[in-house]
Amino acid sequence: MNTEQEHTARPRSGTPVLEARALTRRFGQVTALDGADFDIYPGEVVALIGDNGAGKSTLVKALSGNLEVDSGQVVYKDVVRVIDSPTTASHLGIETVYQDLALAPHLDPVQNMFLGRETMRSGVAGRLGFMDNAAMRKEAREAFDKLGATVRSLDAPVGSMSGGQRQAIAIARAVHWASDVVFLDEPTAALGVRQTANVLDTIRRVASHGVAVVFISHSMPHVMEVSDRVQVLRMGSRVATYDTKDTTMEELVGAMTGATGRSAA
Amino acid sequence: MSSTKKWLAVASVALLGGGVLSSCGSAENNSSSSSGGSGGGGGKSIAFIQGVAGDQFYITMQCGIQDEAKKVGASVKVQGPEKFDPTLQKPIVDSVVASKPDAILVAPTDVSAMQAPLKAAADAGIKVVLVDTTVNDPSFAVSQISSDNEGGGKAAFDAIKKLAPKGGKVLVVSVDPGISTTDARVKGFEDATKADPSFQYLGVQYSHNEPATAARIVTAALQKDPDIVGVFATNLFAAEGSATGIRQAGKSGQVKVVSFDAGPDQVKDLKDGTIQALVAQQPGTIGKDGVDQAMAALGGKSVTKKIQTGFTIITKDNMDTSGKSAIYKSSC
Amino acid sequence: MSASTTTQPTAAAEPDSAPAKTPLVRRVLRLQAFQILLVLLVIIIVFSTLAPHNFANLSNARQIVQNASILAILGVGMTFVIITSGIDLSIGSVMVFSGVIAAKVMIGVGGDGWSTALIGIVASTVTGLLWGVVNGVLIAKAKIPPLIVTLGSLGMALGLAQILTHGVDIRQVPQVMQDKIGYGNVFGQVPTLSIIALVVIAIGMVVLHATRFGRYTYAVGSNEESARRVGVRVDAHLIKIYALSGLLAGFAGVLSLAQFSTTAIAGQSQTNLNVIAAVVIGGTSLFGGFGTIFGTVVGLFIPAVLQNGFVIVGIQPFWQQVAVGAVLIAAVYVDQVRRASAARGRPTRSLLRPGGRKQSRNEGPPEGDAA
Repeated sequence: MNTEQEHTARPRSGTPVLEARALTRRFGQVTALDGADFDIYPGEVVALIGDNGAGKSTLVKALSGNLEVDSGQVVYKDVVRVIDSPTTASHLGIETVYQDLALAPHLDPVQNMFLGRETMRSGVAGRLGFMDNAAMRKEAREAFDKLGATVRSLDAPVGSMSGGQRQAIAIARAVHWASDVVFLDEPTAALGVRQTANVLDTIRRVASHGVAVVFISHSMPHVMEVSDRVQVLRMGSRVATYDTKDTTMEELVGAMTGATGRSAA
Repeated sequence: MSSTKKWLAVASVALLGGGVLSSCGSAENNSSSSSGGSGGGGGKSIAFIQGVAGDQFYITMQCGIQDEAKKVGASVKVQGPEKFDPTLQKPIVDSVVASKPDAILVAPTDVSAMQAPLKAAADAGIKVVLVDTTVNDPSFAVSQISSDNEGGGKAAFDAIKKLAPKGGKVLVVSVDPGISTTDARVKGFEDATKADPSFQYLGVQYSHNEPATAARIVTAALQKDPDIVGVFATNLFAAEGSATGIRQAGKSGQVKVVSFDAGPDQVKDLKDGTIQALVAQQPGTIGKDGVDQAMAALGGKSVTKKIQTGFTIITKDNMDTSGKSAIYKSSC
Repeated sequence: MSASTTTQPTAAAEPDSAPAKTPLVRRVLRLQAFQILLVLLVIIIVFSTLAPHNFANLSNARQIVQNASILAILGVGMTFVIITSGIDLSIGSVMVFSGVIAAKVMIGVGGDGWSTALIGIVASTVTGLLWGVVNGVLIAKAKIPPLIVTLGSLGMALGLAQILTHGVDIRQVPQVMQDKIGYGNVFGQVPTLSIIALVVIAIGMVVLHATRFGRYTYAVGSNEESARRVGVRVDAHLIKIYALSGLLAGFAGVLSLAQFSTTAIAGQSQTNLNVIAAVVIGGTSLFGGFGTIFGTVVGLFIPAVLQNGFVIVGIQPFWQQVAVGAVLIAAVYVDQVRRASAARGRPTRSLLRPGGRKQSRNEGPPEGDAA
């Protein structure tokens, strides 16, 4: 357990919308999370960085309801919660975009957007299972537009669309349903230059609407460009927090690898 | 080429290819080919629907039918389901009826299931002759022709008694209950066994017309009763499987097998000594009689409602002489 | 007009203009099922020219439809199952077992009339449903592959049927069933069995294409993990799918009893493969996520019409198997082509694409699409 950080950012006012306190998770011999902390405030963009195996994905999975933790607390708006499934996380207002996007390739963008949360028709028809496709289509269109994502066809299966389009749809879905926090796991990893720019732009837009964004990234330039704070994980725990405008890429890399500051104690 | 065109091309080729190749194939089947309806003039069209395609019993019957049809100037088309199964035979019967032959010679695969479709054929004006098996109410048929199966069962018992005069346990391996012919054979054998105190009847088991199942049944039975002296197999596939089972158990020669039907494999088993006697039916005669009855009905002459054909016992002694002509054919 | 999915790298779609829904007609035409319908029409035309009097008439059409009706009911269930990238090999045996239960129940209740028949129908359908639930639970909860589970229940159901009847078919069926259902007609000419099948098909189509249940079916087949992550209760859904297949098999079992007036224990041996072939020929992908009931119905008719036509024209029975096999392989090949082109990002080909650019095989969507 290591709650002392090597570097902390300036203290914030107000309460974090989501906080992780000393989360621990073991997989057999491997300790993936070793008393990890995390916090994020409303409307801010936090980059979660760390070397391979530092525990970033594990932390996100735990906070998004895909993984149980062995010990520790998750606090949501000052209340301790147990997030035991993605549905629970969604109900709290936390959405996640996974690296594989979790889209159903045969379904179109609208169907994907609403998968699991379809708008039903009212009355008997709704109870029989009939959906209000027109309403969902309109809402999806608006959600895409709000993000500035241009989805060329609302009828084509998403499997036939390019990686950038699919990313846009996945992010739009998360943003549409999230009221408080969106997790993005390596959102720019497989994208080209123009699409990456779109994603970063999207992140800023989302945050400007009051939804906090956490994104995992290996790309220091992107981290510097778009985040407000950076939290660094190393060997399963948080070792440092930085205000982005007060730090440099070298410093971040150093914190990730442990080259600067205290060696493991 | 777009994938759609490719699709159509493949499908058309498959279809046309199948059609071209098969019209070469079907030439063997027809003594004179005519597509649907009677061949004009005096030539009548006969459709023969087998109980199962590829069974030498029905192939021999087919040969008898084709030979007789040639003599009387009728054309013959042959169809049969892949398995002895009414759910497979019914659509074939319906399609044959749609092709409007003058007469149908058919071996029904179930006494109940084929009742309505065949009656419908008769109602459509087609002369229906039941060959080998029958249905619950055969009154719509012109004639029923089959072996005297009960007598055949008794004869099989007599053959076993001759082979194992001291008596002992005997088992019957049949096809499926509900097939009129094999049930009659079982009954004939069972009655004869029960009338003879020196033999013990172990009952009948069903192999569903699958040799592998028959083999399993026999090996299991021999495990349970190693002193079985005789097995009566009620048809060709049952016989094949029973002989295999006895070989697998290492009891060839010790267990006497009498089998109904005389296909080439059974004749080989007879030669090898795995089977001791064959009760050969006369499917060629059944077919010939079928054609004659159909032609009589079509010509307005009198018919014989029920004909029972006989059988020949084939043993190693007479298989090359008097028994030779009774062996079933694999092709005409 | 519609925003078609042709890829034109220079087109900058305006974020404000909502693309109109691709017209229904256009979407239907693109369906592989429609393309297979054309193949069926070609086959019908070929046989009609080869045997004009005997093939192309109403009574022949009637009997083809009647004989295909029970398979169509099974096909509806199988379509749902295969869309989830599962499979159900047990339908033939469940049919037989349910028929046996129905026959025994009806004999126990006694009588020859409609009340007895209805009890039998309910008994059979419920029996099938229970088998389906067993299949579904083993597949969804015990995580055993569908092929193995349904292969097992195929054996168990058939074996139990044989145990219950000692291998002897039950041939006692209320007269009203055989008269009214098995061979009955509505409006004089239309077989009752076919009307029943039509109703099942219609309900199946509505459920699959217009309800949430249908959409979840596609979602689970398309990417089960993704569906789970967004909160779709995948396990429950799979159980329902196999329950549906079992229910329809049970229903088909009592209908078969009505048609053949025997439990036909030795029968239905190839039914499962014939139905699967029909579903695949109809354009449903064995890999899941894609398929239609309309396609399954068309896919059913292709082997049925082929067999009927071959018999009428007088072709040796074994060739029918060859032809059906060839069509099946062709259908799977086309599915492969479709999936490959979908993955490369091109729209599936349609027969009617007005104008449009000719596209080379290697062209995919350019990576830098406009935002």
